[in-house]
Amino acid sequence: MTAQGIAPSPAKRLRQESSRESDHYHLPPPTFDLDVWVNNYEGFPPHLLGALLPLRLAHVAIHCPTLSRQAITLAISHAKKSKDVRVYIRLCDLAGQFGFADLGAPDLGWASKQEEGNKRELSRLEGELRGYKNNLIRESIRMGQEDLATHHLITGGPPPDPATVQSLGGTGYGVAYQAFGKMRDYCTTPTHMASMILRLTYTAILQAVSAQQQGSTARHHLDLVLSNCSRLRTCGVKEEEQVKLNPIAIAMSGIAHLGQANYHDAASAFLSTPIAYNLLGPVHNTDFGRAVASANDLAIYGGLCALATLSRQALIDRVLGGPFRAFLELEPHMRKAISLYTTAKYQACLDLLRRYYSDWSLDVFLGVPASSIGSASHVDVLSAHIREKSITAYFSSFSEVSLASLASTFPPISSSPMAMEEELLSMIDAGQLDARLDVVNGTLVAPRKDLRASTHEEARRAAEEVERTLLLRLHKVNVAMAGLEVPRSKTGVWEGHGQGNGLMY
Amino acid sequence: MTNLSQCLSDGQGPSKPGLAGDGVDVDKKNLLEMLNPEVNTISYMVSLDAQIKAAGKDWTRIELLRNYAVIFLATFDPVQVRYLGETWLSVLDWTLDTMPQSSSGDLSIIVSAMLRLDPTAGTFTSTHLRFLRTCLERSAPSYALPVLDKNIYAMPTTPPKFMADEFLCDDLELSNVFITPKSGFTRKIVPQYVLEYYLIGAHVYLGLRNYARARLFLEYVVLHPSTQHSISALQVEAYKKWIMVGLLAEGKPYTIPRTHDNAVMKGVRDVARPYDALAENFIKKNLTKYRAEMDVGTQTWHEDGNLRLVKEAESALLKFRVMDLQKTFAALPIGRVAAHVGYPAVTTLQWVTKMIRQRHLRASITPNGSGDAGDAVLRFHHSITSSSAPADSDLAAQTQRIEALVAHVRDADRRLQLTKEYVEYMKRQKKSGPDAADMADQMDLTWESNGAGMMGSAGGVVGLDDDDDADEDIMGGF
Repeated sequence: MTAQGIAPSPAKRLRQESSRESDHYHLPPPTFDLDVWVNNYEGFPPHLLGALLPLRLAHVAIHCPTLSRQAITLAISHAKKSKDVRVYIRLCDLAGQFGFADLGAPDLGWASKQEEGNKRELSRLEGELRGYKNNLIRESIRMGQEDLATHHLITGGPPPDPATVQSLGGTGYGVAYQAFGKMRDYCTTPTHMASMILRLTYTAILQAVSAQQQGSTARHHLDLVLSNCSRLRTCGVKEEEQVKLNPIAIAMSGIAHLGQANYHDAASAFLSTPIAYNLLGPVHNTDFGRAVASANDLAIYGGLCALATLSRQALIDRVLGGPFRAFLELEPHMRKAISLYTTAKYQACLDLLRRYYSDWSLDVFLGVPASSIGSASHVDVLSAHIREKSITAYFSSFSEVSLASLASTFPPISSSPMAMEEELLSMIDAGQLDARLDVVNGTLVAPRKDLRASTHEEARRAAEEVERTLLLRLHKVNVAMAGLEVPRSKTGVWEGHGQGNGLMY
Repeated sequence: MTNLSQCLSDGQGPSKPGLAGDGVDVDKKNLLEMLNPEVNTISYMVSLDAQIKAAGKDWTRIELLRNYAVIFLATFDPVQVRYLGETWLSVLDWTLDTMPQSSSGDLSIIVSAMLRLDPTAGTFTSTHLRFLRTCLERSAPSYALPVLDKNIYAMPTTPPKFMADEFLCDDLELSNVFITPKSGFTRKIVPQYVLEYYLIGAHVYLGLRNYARARLFLEYVVLHPSTQHSISALQVEAYKKWIMVGLLAEGKPYTIPRTHDNAVMKGVRDVARPYDALAENFIKKNLTKYRAEMDVGTQTWHEDGNLRLVKEAESALLKFRVMDLQKTFAALPIGRVAAHVGYPAVTTLQWVTKMIRQRHLRASITPNGSGDAGDAVLRFHHSITSSSAPADSDLAAQTQRIEALVAHVRDADRRLQLTKEYVEYMKRQKKSGPDAADMADQMDLTWESNGAGMMGSAGGVVGLDDDDDADEDIMGGF
């Protein structure tokens, strides 16, 4: 949204894609009520640090046609409450592209007034900061710097204008991130550090979401989130403060791992998030639970990642039986999906997941493409993982299963008659499924392992290898000892033939 | 002994011109008739040698003497001849020289003579190469197998002076004690003889489809140490064949053993690039690209004499493509196999049948009632279902082989530690620093990077020890 002037409008870009892959942009309406849902993410205080909400709503508007009008209306009204003029303009553009003419016309009067006010505020803050710097009072400088950075954050940073001085350091949220970083020199206590790192983390997440929505990669920003999270855990504040910081640090690192498609790491991060995250309230004026992801969201993220990456036993021990259970109680359907999986009711589990597909795809962290190539979102990738795992797990208890019964348990995604077979073949080729296909009888057959014979075979191979290696090295030693190395050739031609030693006949 | 030989040659020397063949007769009988080659080996041999020299090019005498020579070579006392290696070799060489071109039966006499002298045939001699060449000249390479099948455990080296000589007549376990450059059992050996021996040997094994042994021989050549990273043309040739053998046997080139010399390997690969390209397409199991590559390089393969290998690899590629199918399928109609390999169903059916008959594939074909080849069902059997009894004996034999090998490795190790270079190396090591701890690392480094010369071999001792351990692990695994 920062580079709005240059980059093509995201909605246009997304629309173009949507002609190819209609799936992601025509999601059925979710199970939740938008107004209630929005309430979960109201920033506190609403105008401050609430910048993620309009992006969230824009995500819903782009992906779910039935909700788009309601979402965009909400988004615009939220944007108008904030000071970020460019988000407002962009959302109005988006509304125009959706064909909502009434919403598409921006309130230019408000915009220019707000812009004016922002500029005034900025120069006031900069002037104050200069004053503090002249007085050399560290604490004042720190606070001045913080105020300036916060201003950048809520106004979306300076616009991309090559003429201004600030654009040297980047534009938009990048400037806010740098401004927060500048506080570091003036932090005198670990608490100050913690406060600064929290702000940096939040800004980096905001940058990541904003970048993803504009179709660029968020990897760099997510890396920043990760490094800030690890700094947050070791910033050296008192025990009772650290207890409040840890849930945030762990949860945010989980979100970053999720964004980078490291589902296994994400799962272990979410699973180890203390339940204190729920109802943690604002820490250093930032309520991550409302601004970034609620405990309910974490339950979904963690549940999906765990389901896709952990073994059945680990799911029972660590997810259902571990501290993460408290999160799952917030989202009972997720808990139910996991327990269905662990009790081998794969079909019901997958059905349940499918029912909430739309809800999750509308989430701003789950619904974005998992990799720069291809448009499969994290939800798609995770669902595919879970499906593959289910098939493998289902098959593990059989020595032979007919394709027809497999297809009835796991209805193929596409409707082609070969779909099941092709899916199984690709799984076998990828090494995920240890089985072989009997095309003639239409069955999937488990390989019969003769342990004794294969161990013998292995031992024989290893022994042969040892023998060969020994011989090769013996040869080398012998040759070296007898001085029979390939001689250095001066002319490049073999010498030494016919030395009259009886071998050249 | 020398006295006896001198006495005999002295006795005959002057009288030779006049007496011609009759001079050695005693009581109208040839001296050789009176001596028992098994007991009087030395006198029999010296006398035979003298008569051979006297016979010159007289074919009737040569015919006669050949019979004596054959008897001698079949029955001589291996301990006695150790004292007169030179004479023994000249008798053997003469027998080889005068061997009729047509009969290859005599080749077995040479083999048995070589194995009689040294049952392990484990010390490389010039006779090894000469014999192998003769076998090939007579298109009877299989006669060389008794010798080729034995591993070479040592090269003839002069033992260090300060060592107390072992008695030649002792019951010696290792042949390299009595086969030395000075013993006369071998002519002077130069590096290319060793390379040539192994390369020809590899050819013989390739002809027999004994890929494991061919691989070993080719690796001997490719990994042959060199001074200052110089490369022999024979090594390049061996490398090319080595790539092809890997493709034929395993469907991919073998991994290069760890002890290779990087610079040499790079040089070799630069020259053999077409083969690497070929292998690349083979690994991808891309038949069309392989064929294209094959057609483009026909000239190259032909010049290298590898055209048949390359062609054979083509059918091996088809074989591997079908074998890959059994990883995914338990049973499938021939029609699908045909689609996979890109041949008509009838051809594919014949060809899969042949593969099953040759035991490349454990599978069965059930014809379909319709009689259409494409509908016949190919059903793969479970991979290893053979009884484990032969595997047991295999493993036992393998264990024995390795144990025998370890004895030779220990001997090589001991010999190595007695060389002047090794002692100097140790001295330098001691001077350079008291940390004996990281000495092993340094040795390993020299082995890896240098690979040649005594420094490298010193590291080899460490390397061999490593293998001993690995070997013991295997024994422990039983």
